[in-house]
Amino acid sequence: MSPDADIAYWIVAASMIVLLAPLASGILSALIPVRYSWLVSLTASFMLLVAVAGAVVLVSNAGLHDTRHFSTAWFTLGGNEIAAGILVDKYAAVMVLVVTIVSFLVHLYSAGYMAGDASIRRYFVMLGFFTFTMLGIVLSDNLLILFMCWELVGFSSYMLIGHWMELPEAAQASRKAYMMNRIGDLGFIAGLMIVYRKAGTFDISILASHSLQGWETTAALCFFLAIAAKSAQFPLLTWLPDAMAGPTPVSALIHAATMVAAGVFLLGRIHFMFPPEALQVVTAAGLLTALTGAAAALGHFDIKKILAYSTVSQLGLMVTALGMGAKDAAMLHLLTHAFFKAGLFLAAGAIIHTLHQVQVSTGKTYDVQDIRNLGGLRKAMPVTFVVFVLCGAALSGIPMFSGFQSKEAILSHMLSGQGEWSLIAAFLFLLTAFLTIVYTFRLIWFVFIANEGRQWGNIPEVPFVMRFPMIVLGLASLWWIVSLNPFSFSGWFMTGRATGSATMISIAVVITALATSFLFVRKKPTPTGAPGILTNTFYLDNVFGALVTRPVGHLSSLCVRIDRRYIDGILHGAAYAQVTLAHIVGWIDKTIVDGIVNFVARLASWLGAFVRTFQSGNIQMYIFWAGMGLLLLTLYIVT
Amino acid sequence: MIYAFYIFAFIAIASAAGILFARRLFHAALMLLVCFLGVAGIYAVSFAEWVAVTQILVYAGGVVVIIIFGIMLTARITGRPTAVANSRWFSGTLLGLGAMGFLITLFVRGSFGNGVMPASDAKFTMVNRFGIELMTDYMLPFEGAGLLLLITLVGAAVIAATRNKNSIS
Amino acid sequence: MIPIENYLVLSATLFSIGLMIVVIKRNAIAVLLGLELMLNAANINLVAFNLAHPERLDGQMFAVFVIIVAACEAAVGLAIILQAYRVFHTAVPDSISTLKES
Repeated sequence: MSPDADIAYWIVAASMIVLLAPLASGILSALIPVRYSWLVSLTASFMLLVAVAGAVVLVSNAGLHDTRHFSTAWFTLGGNEIAAGILVDKYAAVMVLVVTIVSFLVHLYSAGYMAGDASIRRYFVMLGFFTFTMLGIVLSDNLLILFMCWELVGFSSYMLIGHWMELPEAAQASRKAYMMNRIGDLGFIAGLMIVYRKAGTFDISILASHSLQGWETTAALCFFLAIAAKSAQFPLLTWLPDAMAGPTPVSALIHAATMVAAGVFLLGRIHFMFPPEALQVVTAAGLLTALTGAAAALGHFDIKKILAYSTVSQLGLMVTALGMGAKDAAMLHLLTHAFFKAGLFLAAGAIIHTLHQVQVSTGKTYDVQDIRNLGGLRKAMPVTFVVFVLCGAALSGIPMFSGFQSKEAILSHMLSGQGEWSLIAAFLFLLTAFLTIVYTFRLIWFVFIANEGRQWGNIPEVPFVMRFPMIVLGLASLWWIVSLNPFSFSGWFMTGRATGSATMISIAVVITALATSFLFVRKKPTPTGAPGILTNTFYLDNVFGALVTRPVGHLSSLCVRIDRRYIDGILHGAAYAQVTLAHIVGWIDKTIVDGIVNFVARLASWLGAFVRTFQSGNIQMYIFWAGMGLLLLTLYIVT
Repeated sequence: MIYAFYIFAFIAIASAAGILFARRLFHAALMLLVCFLGVAGIYAVSFAEWVAVTQILVYAGGVVVIIIFGIMLTARITGRPTAVANSRWFSGTLLGLGAMGFLITLFVRGSFGNGVMPASDAKFTMVNRFGIELMTDYMLPFEGAGLLLLITLVGAAVIAATRNKNSIS
Repeated sequence: MIPIENYLVLSATLFSIGLMIVVIKRNAIAVLLGLELMLNAANINLVAFNLAHPERLDGQMFAVFVIIVAACEAAVGLAIILQAYRVFHTAVPDSISTLKES
């Protein structure tokens, strides 16, 4: 066997293992009897470990420089052959690695977090299925299969968000996520139709060399609608914070590796289909999302909601970077974000998990997710604290952490761009980065440091099976994940040199933001209510109502005034005329109109009686009429 | 050969008409049995031995027996044989004759390729070929048919089972 | 050699008689008899057309599968008739009219 064929063989085999191991985990979880449901967490985690091993083999064979494409005929429809296959390029390879690793860690963590849950089997089934479908999106080489996996990702997220379906808000949230994604899927289907009609193929690598004959912008915007729904871009972003009603490990998976990353990944994969006009829309939507998310994160008090809005904001940054053409930088940010955001969620989950147990043992009830009820947890949960700070620092983009490098990569690209458009984008980007630091600092302060004197008593740390994934993700938030030089993003993933100004500006922003937030916190150590506009996400849910309701109200009061003044006078005059007329009409009515009406009524009742005979409730008469109808119809067609 | 065909066709049509005019349901079922045997004869002279055998086994042996069971189980307790009343003679005859005239006109007017004698193969008889086809090209439908039969068995048992506690009225 | 028109006329006749039985008879089991007859008529056509293509067995194969499905249909149909008989104490479809007003 030639070395090239050998490598191809390994790649295909590894891809199959990567794809099928999570699916097998799901199926296995469904097959294990209820009595042994504790076994599920073991088998599922093990299968995911197999998937990680497959991913490592895949990446080490595929390398990061070649694009490899394997395809086989799937089915033939008329004369059109639909192919199925895998397409492994740099982004897909890295994405496979990230998805499997994060999913493995989440599985491991769930073993601790969900222990004792009544429906743990369903949970692990959907978790495995979720991972499988996401890997399908990443590896598939054509848009049709990608779309199927896309739908299935939506379905499994629906199942997982609504895992505790007896809670009304969980059911509501899963429905909302599903409906919002439906809107996006509409765009995806429209895009698929355009692509197939104009290019005649779904194959991504063939599409790259096909023109869509004037439909490029429409198709791109259709696909972007789908991406916006999946990746929670403006204005379809409200489902993601609501999705916090699901179990916390699921949130980690959705936010880091699977659900929302799918949108950004698709945008990267079909980036070549986006003409400049569409990319401007993408950039604008991304910037708007980034700012909205960051501002909303500043106003919330629910620890998971803050993290959710920060995801929205970071996804906005990735989409912006893709809109500006910085594909490498966006994907690098997706990679670093996957690790530190998963770490943040797992740490938050650890806090929630522990405090729930404390609540159960002490009998007190308060909202454990409200950061105003927390504070001073630094001493009680040192490991969680350290992990949270590491990941939070990466989220804020503080030097020596991975977030700094990926954000620097995006910023360098923006600053090297031409025109005032990229300068505006860079400015808004920095503003978002600034807000990110402030809300992350605020979050850490309230949860771990404020209320230093508060006595938590003897709070146990979470078990090792939950601590281990957190520690791994915390370590993965450090600079070495990108490159060995903590101030350069040029490493194994992408090459390039940061413009000096980008580094300087980022550091300056970091320092100002840290100072601001420190002052902010010092001055007002007790939290007060935030402006409503932030807690309600700029009233996005209300804005449509307000847009319609208020103008209608004005219009109606205007109508009332006109009515009183002018129309009433005319009406009084008309009333007398009408009374006279009414007598005449009354006579006509009684004799002529009533006669017609009575005739019509009789006709109707006679017709009804006639038609009723057909609906005799007699099966054989139905057969007779159906047979006669068919006979006459065929006679008509034949002759 | 053609005489055999005519004889079988006559048997089939005559017994089918017999069902139509039969006064007793049990007689109608026996006529159906004769009709099935006649159709099986038609298959036998048309080089479809396997279909003929299946027809006799499944229809004459299975379906007719089930139907006779059904007749016995729904007979009145008085023990009198179930008489079949007829109704809707007018609509029935209209539809039947209409369909017959229409179909026959269509068949006679249209041109269909004439039957050809199958090439005689020394190695394989018709039934052999049938078996090979069934186990190769028609494997999936064959298995599906088996599954369908199983499902029907269970389904019929479930539907017909007496549930004393929750029977309606 | 038997002309194919003979088969077609035979099947048309059987089919029409089956149809008449379905419409005319008042007993549900008799209706079932008519249905079986109609299925047989269709089968005759399948076998007849297979004669024109002796190198293939598709027509006969279909006939066999139709027979199988017809057997299933008879079994389920009789089960339903039995159950209906148990509930309504009659096997005459005309007298079963719970869903009809008055």
